[in-house]
Amino acid sequence: MKKDEKKKKVTSLRPKATAVAVKPTTADHSFTIVVDVFLWAALFLIAIPLWSTITLSFRPNDYIGTNLEGMFLPVWKWSTAAYKALLGNHGFLMAFVNSFKILIFGVATALLLTIPLAYCLSIPSLPGRKFFNWLVIIPYVFNVGMIPTYLLVTGIGLQDHLSSVFLPVAVSTYNCLIMRSFFEGIPNELKESARIDGATEMQVMMRIVLPLSKAIILTVGLFYGVSFWNDFFRAMLYLNNNDLQPLPILLRNILLASGMNEYVEVSAFGDAPISAIKAASVFMSAIPMVIAYPFIQKYFTKGTLLGSVKG
Amino acid sequence: MKKTLLILLVLTCLIASVFAQGSTEQAAPAASAKEEPVAIDLWYGAAITEAGPPPDDWVGFKVIKDKLNIDLKLTALPSAENDQDVKIQAAGAANNLPDLFMVRRETLMRLIKQGLVAPVDDLYAKMPVRTARHYDVSSIQNTTFNGHSYGLADPGSIPRNEGLLIRKDWLDKLGLSVPKTLDDLYNVMVAFTKNDPDGNGKDDTYGYGAFQELNNYEEWPGRRLEPIFGAFGVDGTWDMSKASTGLNVFKPEFYDAMVFLKKIQDAGVIDPNWLAYKKDDFRAAWKQGRFGIMREQNAAYAATSNYAPFDKNFPNGKWIVVDPPVGSSGKSSIGPYTAGFRIYAISAKAAKAGKADKIAQLLEWMASDEGYYLLGWGVEGVNYTKDANGIPVATGLSDPDLAFSAPKGQTVTQLRNLVFYNSDIELGSRYPTYKTAVSGKTMSALTTLRDMQKRKWTSEIGADMMPYPNADLKRFYEQGLAEFITGKRELTKDNWNAWVEEFKKQGGQAWNDAGVKYAQENNLLN
Repeated sequence: MKKDEKKKKVTSLRPKATAVAVKPTTADHSFTIVVDVFLWAALFLIAIPLWSTITLSFRPNDYIGTNLEGMFLPVWKWSTAAYKALLGNHGFLMAFVNSFKILIFGVATALLLTIPLAYCLSIPSLPGRKFFNWLVIIPYVFNVGMIPTYLLVTGIGLQDHLSSVFLPVAVSTYNCLIMRSFFEGIPNELKESARIDGATEMQVMMRIVLPLSKAIILTVGLFYGVSFWNDFFRAMLYLNNNDLQPLPILLRNILLASGMNEYVEVSAFGDAPISAIKAASVFMSAIPMVIAYPFIQKYFTKGTLLGSVKG
Repeated sequence: MKKTLLILLVLTCLIASVFAQGSTEQAAPAASAKEEPVAIDLWYGAAITEAGPPPDDWVGFKVIKDKLNIDLKLTALPSAENDQDVKIQAAGAANNLPDLFMVRRETLMRLIKQGLVAPVDDLYAKMPVRTARHYDVSSIQNTTFNGHSYGLADPGSIPRNEGLLIRKDWLDKLGLSVPKTLDDLYNVMVAFTKNDPDGNGKDDTYGYGAFQELNNYEEWPGRRLEPIFGAFGVDGTWDMSKASTGLNVFKPEFYDAMVFLKKIQDAGVIDPNWLAYKKDDFRAAWKQGRFGIMREQNAAYAATSNYAPFDKNFPNGKWIVVDPPVGSSGKSSIGPYTAGFRIYAISAKAAKAGKADKIAQLLEWMASDEGYYLLGWGVEGVNYTKDANGIPVATGLSDPDLAFSAPKGQTVTQLRNLVFYNSDIELGSRYPTYKTAVSGKTMSALTTLRDMQKRKWTSEIGADMMPYPNADLKRFYEQGLAEFITGKRELTKDNWNAWVEEFKKQGGQAWNDAGVKYAQENNLLN
């Protein structure tokens, strides 16, 4: 057989790709409309309080009207007095810096501790694997409570250290288990081939597993980040030095300001309306997470789902 | 690349242990012949919680160290009382209470049972000036348990500092006189709602404005509506008179007060948002001219920064303080008043370490002229000057930003709650007379205070120490009353009686009996 004829015969044996065009039915259209309406409703439910907070933060002192009307106040009538008051306040800036320190160092520490633990627990041949798994799960189920934790944290001298906010919770069992499941999902053959080539477990983790685990690392990092950024309770309990207090503590003081302060004749933030200051402080404290989220969004869904599907 | 990332990660964590460290380590004082300063850890309630603590170089630290040989370490307690309790109780559980700390009475009682606070009976004599100014019989009684005083109860907020206010300009516009009786009040409320008192052609005003401001001696509907309940003689949670001690909700007059409240609710003459308002919303609403009658605190109404928005919005607007309305039985009251205290306790640990006397020395110094002015207003010439009457004022300063009332100057007076005792000097300073920026009116929160204090009040000193209901009972109480007012449950005599019986069964009777017993045993009845 000539070459061309052979080629033709071979190519003729290949299945022809045919585009299957399915015309949407009325049911499909209806379903799409229902889903769209539902999503728009959900968007409004979320967007309206957010918009209300934003417009409240720009409310001028001489505004007369209801809160609903204030949400439609023209932009040129907005006042930045509340933001100026907050950004000019040394305490607010210091709290912001403290929160950032807790966020950066907390996430770094948490990932540094969680990743190796999750990896070790994912190795099927780890001696005592079942025992170590139980050791991790039991504290998750049976929490010792606040007092023993307080005794431990103060006993090891972490009181009045920023690390008291993130170190006691640097390893979250939930996040560790998600990560473990993800690592278990990575084909064993990849790790085995590396081991055969003489790689140590540390090298396998660093060079094979971690590069494939970007999704889960970013996802778990985001979980930790949000938790540390918003942490109020541990900061309130362990940080006596007011210069170390992070944003959630100051935010709570601001939000309770007009309710708690007996000296109602003065305001710590000048003449900006107290409601605008509260809204501005809430909005500003949420900004870092709002900015970070879209960048990690694409990994987020992938990360949480991949860990749940095995085989 | 990956190696670099790993190294960066490890370095970050190592740096964390350095930069995440908290307090800067103070260099140990050089050994000298002089006695080592006594370290005293003070957890205080800040005057203005969000303003921040005194700076590290605050002159007060140096003065206290030089004069008293005390190394004072300050920690501001959280602003919310619940958070304060959690922090103190956690520290107590770890036997790590500070030497001197502010504490609520309920928490103090728990700490006493655990043996974590020291009795202070012998300290009163060691602080003669402070004791004469701050601690009277009722204040010592407030912290006395089993025959011993376990806390130093400083005077709290100024008593009877709220009043019933009405828009005089609205009354004049509508040709009405100041209401004297409850019926007059209702008629004025109707006029304020229906007759466009602000003359803007819009149907946007109401007669009465309020919000649900509750505490343990002013249960639902709360203190903003006490002038109405006072007209029926049932203001406040408790009746503290010897003749009829007990919960006011069990009295037939309480039903009558509820009927009146329902009447104004149904007529739409009370701002309907009163059930949803928070304090900020309520204060924004009167500044926006939403209603014409309210109960408000003197400084929240008349102080410079608080009155300014109303002055700008309504330069011709005028509020006046009026007497509470008189009911059909001749009763009237702005509401109940108590003597609030700010309690400071000394930990048993500190007493065992021999610090009690030093703490007494510190507190006595605070009551001296030097301590009083330094902690109350700051440094003369920097944070305040004195006027012709010797009253500290925030004028005549080279840097007005450092005035004790300005945001930057507020940090140096965060401890003023430890030295103030509602003296004339404090009130004169706190409430200066001023001219409003827009209308040029002469305003004084002090004049307003004196006006409010002379109106009719119900003395219920000690009512704030009465037993609390449990959470379920409190919810049943508040929810039930709210349902009657909102119409969810029809307010009829039969329904009311049925609800009261159910309330008694739920624990209301037990609460009442416990309260009566407590009041009798502790000599709180009038």
